[in-house]
Amino acid sequence: MTPPAVRSAGLTKRFRSGQVAVDGIELEVPRGSVYGFLGPNGSGKTTTIRMLLGLVRPTAGRAWLLEEPMPEGGGSVLPRVGVLVEGPAFHPYLTGRANLARLDAADATADPRTTRRRSDAALERVGLAAAAAKPFRQYSLGMKQRLGLAAALLRPRDLLVLDEPTNGLDPQGTREVRHLIRELADAGTTVLVSSHLLAEIDQVCSHIGIMSQGKLLVQDERLALTERGEPTLVVRTAVDHVGTATEVLTALGLGAPVVDGPEVTASLGSVAPETATAALVGAGVPVVGLEARRPSLEQLFVTLTGEGFDVAR
Amino acid sequence: MSRAEGGSRLLRSELSLVFGRRRNITLLVGLATVPLLLGIVLFVTQDSALAGQGPGFVGRVTGNGLFLVVSSLVMCLPFLLPLTIGIASGDAIAGEAQAGTLRYLLAVPVSRTRVLVVKAVAALAFAGAAVAAIALMALLSGAVLFGLDDVTLLSGSTVPLGEGVLRIAGVAVYVGLSLTGLVAVGLFFSTLTEVPVGAMAATVVVAIVSAVLDTLPQLAAIHPGLLTHHWLDFAEFLRLEVDWGVLGEGLAVQGAWVAIFASLAWSRFTTADVTS
Amino acid sequence: MTETQPSSPATPPPSSPVAPASATALATPSARRRWAVPAVVATAVAGAFVAPPLLAAAGDASLPEVTPLELLAEVAEAEPMALTGTAVYTARLGLPEIPFAEIAGADPIALLAGSSTIRVWTDGEERSRAALLGPASEYSVVRDGPEAWTYSSEEDAVVHYALSAEDEARYEALADQLRAGPSPEVAGELPTPEEAARLVLDRAEEHSTVSLDAQTTVAGRDAYQLVVTPRSTETLVARVVVAVDAETSTPLRVQVWSTQDEATPALDVGFTDVTFAAPEDAVLEFTAPASATVEEVVVPLPEVTEMERTEGAAKGELPEGVTVAGEGWESVTTLTGLDVAALVAGDPAALASVPGSERTLGSESAQELIGEFLPEDGEGGHPGLSLDGAALYEQLTTEVPEGRLLSSSLLSLLVTEDGRVLVGAVPAETLRGMA
Repeated sequence: MTPPAVRSAGLTKRFRSGQVAVDGIELEVPRGSVYGFLGPNGSGKTTTIRMLLGLVRPTAGRAWLLEEPMPEGGGSVLPRVGVLVEGPAFHPYLTGRANLARLDAADATADPRTTRRRSDAALERVGLAAAAAKPFRQYSLGMKQRLGLAAALLRPRDLLVLDEPTNGLDPQGTREVRHLIRELADAGTTVLVSSHLLAEIDQVCSHIGIMSQGKLLVQDERLALTERGEPTLVVRTAVDHVGTATEVLTALGLGAPVVDGPEVTASLGSVAPETATAALVGAGVPVVGLEARRPSLEQLFVTLTGEGFDVAR
Repeated sequence: MSRAEGGSRLLRSELSLVFGRRRNITLLVGLATVPLLLGIVLFVTQDSALAGQGPGFVGRVTGNGLFLVVSSLVMCLPFLLPLTIGIASGDAIAGEAQAGTLRYLLAVPVSRTRVLVVKAVAALAFAGAAVAAIALMALLSGAVLFGLDDVTLLSGSTVPLGEGVLRIAGVAVYVGLSLTGLVAVGLFFSTLTEVPVGAMAATVVVAIVSAVLDTLPQLAAIHPGLLTHHWLDFAEFLRLEVDWGVLGEGLAVQGAWVAIFASLAWSRFTTADVTS
Repeated sequence: MTETQPSSPATPPPSSPVAPASATALATPSARRRWAVPAVVATAVAGAFVAPPLLAAAGDASLPEVTPLELLAEVAEAEPMALTGTAVYTARLGLPEIPFAEIAGADPIALLAGSSTIRVWTDGEERSRAALLGPASEYSVVRDGPEAWTYSSEEDAVVHYALSAEDEARYEALADQLRAGPSPEVAGELPTPEEAARLVLDRAEEHSTVSLDAQTTVAGRDAYQLVVTPRSTETLVARVVVAVDAETSTPLRVQVWSTQDEATPALDVGFTDVTFAAPEDAVLEFTAPASATVEEVVVPLPEVTEMERTEGAAKGELPEGVTVAGEGWESVTTLTGLDVAALVAGDPAALASVPGSERTLGSESAQELIGEFLPEDGEGGHPGLSLDGAALYEQLTTEVPEGRLLSSSLLSLLVTEDGRVLVGAVPAETLRGMA
């Protein structure tokens, strides 16, 4: 197994105010994964990312990016890492292209002869080519976000750390970002993407970590996480058949059936949904609808923390 | 590509950022109008009863345009130049922090020490440009309005124009170097805050407080160490025998302020959390 | 369900795993070490600025022993040296507040209080230059044999003192004789350590005891310290301490201590930097700049016989209207028939009422010494003196029943309503008693 792209051990940040923003988290982002770093606003995601990048000094614990310890190894490893931290930030009176040129000039390992070509390619990739010569202050929120992504893509990266990349984007823009992430991941780039909007990045992630109040509550492959919850079977039928349906399901070994109007919900256990369907039909229950449900990440989160996610509008 | 080339590339980028910024250009143009206005006022009033009056070297300007350089620098030293330094150095780190660009610069990555050095060099360059803008504009308008002549020194001796120009250039260089301590102070303030205006104001206040303390006889013991105490020592260039010891002492005091505040800025900036 | 723990804890960290506790121990001292840098720099800077004076002060001059009289003789016999130096002059006379804010640049009036820097060049013979340095200004006194100039950069004004044509001829004839004698009187004279010392030491033995203090260092040079203590207890002068360069016997510093302040000298003039080498000719020359206003003052050359008399300090031959009471340090000079009010207002006509020249009024050491230190005002309307004389007079003197009194830590001056002026290095009460 290749070593993880991002790893932390007991990473903790206590601010001078005494507030513990990050509390001993053990992050592990496997190579090649798209790691969804989720949590409500203020849960410590951004502080964690700042510690990973060496912007904030940890109170305790250590972090490694691409096997290099941070912040000591930042000089050698950060050129391989594209970042978008807490929103895009550029010089307002410089054009988009000039802003990219400035960042590239700051990079001692970048080749100045290819700056123009690389920045144009990055702008093209995020759909900003037409606005490349406009000053940053004239950009819309979405264009600013795109320029931030372009900066992260200024040169080939082994790791992308994208903090809230869909902030300020319309649904179309959000889709494009998801597409971009997918594309980069397919090319072998590891992506650590944070969001407080679960639904927006849920679908592109191969791995998920959930933070709440400074703690990393859960971290696993996305599929493993969703399969972890108890599957349930929801059967919709006629109101006068709910009794029969309950009996059939109980007989099959499904647990704790709950009747709610024309619906019967029961814990599926190890029973295959198709077995239950056949039994119900065989018992003459008119099945109007039947659904085998896994608990959503959102439900998982609510069960874990007892608090809700910020809901996407 | 080597590290040094990379460093100079960032420095070039920083210089073009500082000198390309409209606010800074306006500032330089504003400073350059001081000698022009002063020259015009003196030109218009030179035949009136007010001729030859005024502090410092103003009285000598109408006789020799070269003195417009000295008069303009004297005029800008108490407030306008500290203000310029405050804006250039106070903005250095705090401006990037406020804009949020600092975190991207550090994540590029650029080492914090290098960011600080590049910012310091750019602020010093801007301070130099400010002094040069005043001096060159003064030389030009002085030459046009009053003509240039042999220079009568403070000691009453007269030196030829060539030597006079050299001495006046010495004045401008000394004034420029006198501002280095304030640049370091401003840079340190700039590492303390994400509000550039705060760092700028604090820098200007330091210069003004220093000038006020310099006038209190009760504090005579600390006067030689004050940031602004040796600012007027440029007059040494206009004395019969230039006492390099006096100039050296003034520059040594600036050097001390630079050493202390640059190291403070370094300690602060390399240990601070960048949360902007 | 995985709580907090990574799902695959087996993966080793790329570098050796560090426990959080020791990581804390790593992070914090690093920050502390960085903050130690400015502390070290500040200490080094403080050391660099503070140490040299301390080291200089600690310098132990182990000079051969001499007796006070031997030293006095050495100073008297020493050839005047060509030198270039910087002297700092400090006056703590306890005078009323003077509106120094009105003084923009270098002006001898500034010598009344506070510290001034004076640069000195002399060829050790008849040419010298002394310059009072102000902020971006300068006041110079240049002497060249029978001629002298003062130049104020603030006013761009020159005063040229010279002998009349026939006196010039006599001067040339008597050059050798006169070379040792006095140069023309200059209003707004600047004090230098050698000049001040000469005045004290010339008459040191008459009314004083002379002793030696610990050896010291002045301007980086080893020096003996001669202490001249007035025998009289009636005078304001407690003692005069002269530091004499061990090598050249040139006085390097003069401190005049008042009986009213035991902590600091009332007057202090000493070199901070001195080089015994002939200055360049350009320094000792003076040509009035084209832009400057020039005032010509013709100084009468005294008859040789008259000079000899004053050299001998014969009392009783004082100009009319001048009387001296008491002896030595406690003597009080009285001038009568003066229109002081008109004089300080700068009325040239009032000058006629001044009996004799100013220098003759105090043939005794104390007055002369102070006359050397204090700027010589009184000739009215001088370009070197930018303050309003009458206002200054009001400021410096206070109303007493006998008239107006100027009281300082070294000198008292009483102007009575009937036009007498009493002056002496004695307490104000003594003058009031005499009036």
